[in-house]
Amino acid sequence: MIARAGARALAVAMALGAALGSRAAATELAADEPAGAAGADPGEPAEAETAVHQDAAPFPDERFGPRYVIDEIVIRGNRKTAKSLILGELAALGLSPGASVDASDPRVEAARYRLLALGFFLDVRLSLTRGAQRGGAILAVEVDERGTLVINELFPATSQATLFWGGADVSETNFLGRGINLGAGFVASTKPVVPDAHAGVGLRLRVGVPPLGGPNGLSLSLTGLYNDGSEFYRAAGDDGDPAPDDFVATRVRRAGGLLTVGKMLPAGLHASIGLREEEITSTLPPLEARVLPNGGVSRIDFMINGGASRVGTVSASLDLDTRSDPILPRDGMRIALSVEAGDDLLGSSYGYVKGVLDASFYRKLPRGHALGFHVFAGAIGGYAPYFDRFFVGDLNLLLPRRALGINFSTQPSPNLFNTDIAHHRYDNYAGRLLVEYAVPIWRHRGLVYGGDAFVAVGLLGMASDGDFSGPGPVSLSTLPIDVTGDLGLRLDTYVGVFTISVANALSRASF
Amino acid sequence: MGNRRAALVAVCLAGALATGSARAAEPLARRQAGIEVKNGQVTISVGLQDLFGPAERQHLASGFATRVLIRAAVQDESTGEPIALAVQRVEIVYDIWDERFEVRATRGLGAEQRAVVATADEAIWRATVLVDFPLVDARRLQPDGRYVVALRGDLNPISEDLLVEVRRWLVQPARGERRLGAGDSFFGSFVSIFVNPRIEDSERQVRFVSQPFAPGRPTPPLTPPPTPVPTLPPPRSKIGGVPR
Repeated sequence: MIARAGARALAVAMALGAALGSRAAATELAADEPAGAAGADPGEPAEAETAVHQDAAPFPDERFGPRYVIDEIVIRGNRKTAKSLILGELAALGLSPGASVDASDPRVEAARYRLLALGFFLDVRLSLTRGAQRGGAILAVEVDERGTLVINELFPATSQATLFWGGADVSETNFLGRGINLGAGFVASTKPVVPDAHAGVGLRLRVGVPPLGGPNGLSLSLTGLYNDGSEFYRAAGDDGDPAPDDFVATRVRRAGGLLTVGKMLPAGLHASIGLREEEITSTLPPLEARVLPNGGVSRIDFMINGGASRVGTVSASLDLDTRSDPILPRDGMRIALSVEAGDDLLGSSYGYVKGVLDASFYRKLPRGHALGFHVFAGAIGGYAPYFDRFFVGDLNLLLPRRALGINFSTQPSPNLFNTDIAHHRYDNYAGRLLVEYAVPIWRHRGLVYGGDAFVAVGLLGMASDGDFSGPGPVSLSTLPIDVTGDLGLRLDTYVGVFTISVANALSRASF
Repeated sequence: MGNRRAALVAVCLAGALATGSARAAEPLARRQAGIEVKNGQVTISVGLQDLFGPAERQHLASGFATRVLIRAAVQDESTGEPIALAVQRVEIVYDIWDERFEVRATRGLGAEQRAVVATADEAIWRATVLVDFPLVDARRLQPDGRYVVALRGDLNPISEDLLVEVRRWLVQPARGERRLGAGDSFFGSFVSIFVNPRIEDSERQVRFVSQPFAPGRPTPPLTPPPTPVPTLPPPRSKIGGVPR
């Protein structure tokens, strides 16, 4: 017990030193402390935060001060937010009329932070006033509402094939004051210079309603989508050459929606199921053959049915999130597992099953540094439309990602290993392993809450059925793998989360 | 062209890093404190009453607990190396029926001390004023060494258990929806989540360092701020009473 307290005191001492600007090593202090205490590091801002929280632990006897019975709950300051929404959050912690509450009840502080975490309020204050009779109290919750319009993503970029595309994804997180999340995203482009291509337009509208029956109930969300854009297919030239003239384009219109039902489970687990239906209209280019560099000709697989078709799928996903921080994590993990299946029973013209594992693991290192491992693995069995397959731009950080599901670039993977990767754009199998090292730069300074400098490097690979069935032995040059990575700053600020990085710059101006 | 672009990115990153380093080195404010050696212990007398602003003072009578955590670290002046740390925790509650403040405090691993006071000023004084607060055994310091005491006061610091819960709510709000941009596009996105609430370590903080001192030549003791004169309990309207 004493050793533990000593270790904690040492960690606090070191952390406080760090918090106050200390640069020193703590070797002398460590010598006075019990064994096992010297692992903490004085220059570690994250440890400083931990130390505050450790010393903020409640007194051994948590109960202090009088106990009251809640006669009534009064909500003030909620000009927009529905009273029932706030009462529901309090009730989830057992704070409701008729319940007892101590003056030092930890549920009160938890309720305050739970309401703050909704993102609807700048501040929340709970207080008590006398109730109808001695021992009774009226619980007053005073909220200070804030703007709830948030920008989730911006899409400005340019490429050799498309001069400009841009747009945004915006949400109102407290629509009508009922906690309804109403979001919209759009992206539009200039006409790509690929023959037969059309300017792209993508729209998303989504609405998510608060869980039915309280915070632990089922949540529903509905997303409508409309895409009208082109996808590019190589018709000539070398695989590594992004020249738009060497490509042909389809025009594909997608219109449909996705209904999702989700539920929070214990221990940070979230489960959801979804139903997606889309109507597809595609126009294939007149040229359906590719002239190979050796003079031969091969048929282009457009990975989409010509004319009208439908996509109908059901999906299920599990999401476990134990990260210490959503933006600048130092430990914990996030594992997302999903399965989606399309079948003619759902009216789908495409029969396939798609499984995806996306996982990140973080490990705290001395001096507040962190090591992250990011694993992505996916496989598709059957015949999926191209937009549901794995796209190289979504895997390689150095390439433009799709914006609302539309690709605007002909850029191949850089192919640093001189393999077959440049040939791969859409595939049924994909994997990526990234190792990330993050170093804290800012912590708790004004409007910049925190910032990390980070470097990430990793491998990606893509393949489809038949890629390894050709003549000749399998060697490194026939393995469709490549190196990817990034270097930059990730800033968590009052106005948003910003990433300023080499890959971001390259992927938004990919020539 | 590519090289020029890469160089530009590198210069921007280097500039940003340099800015960050510069900001991280901002010195703390200095506050005069009474530092003495008493009974073989280095002690400090200093006030952190500014931890309570008008809003915090008013909220003291909310009926719910207000917690104050003060941590004082003795550091080598030249290297900043921490030598020792002392912690005081105080909790204040206001009894809405008896109209009085109850205060309890612990120093380090010491016993809990309780008091009942009539006014908010007295309660704040007991929570934020250190009088002959023991820091470290004087024998652990070099007689001719120069040291400073770095102090940090936190109002209602968030506990570790609650912090875990809060972070979970921030990642995945209780309403069951995944917060967009919080990892789905960890790499590659330029910006996400405009207007981004942050749960701080505590509601309010005060940080400063004392003047330098040498154990062999202690600074003249400061007279601690006087204990507020007890006053009548605040009228009901001042503590948010509901007219009945």
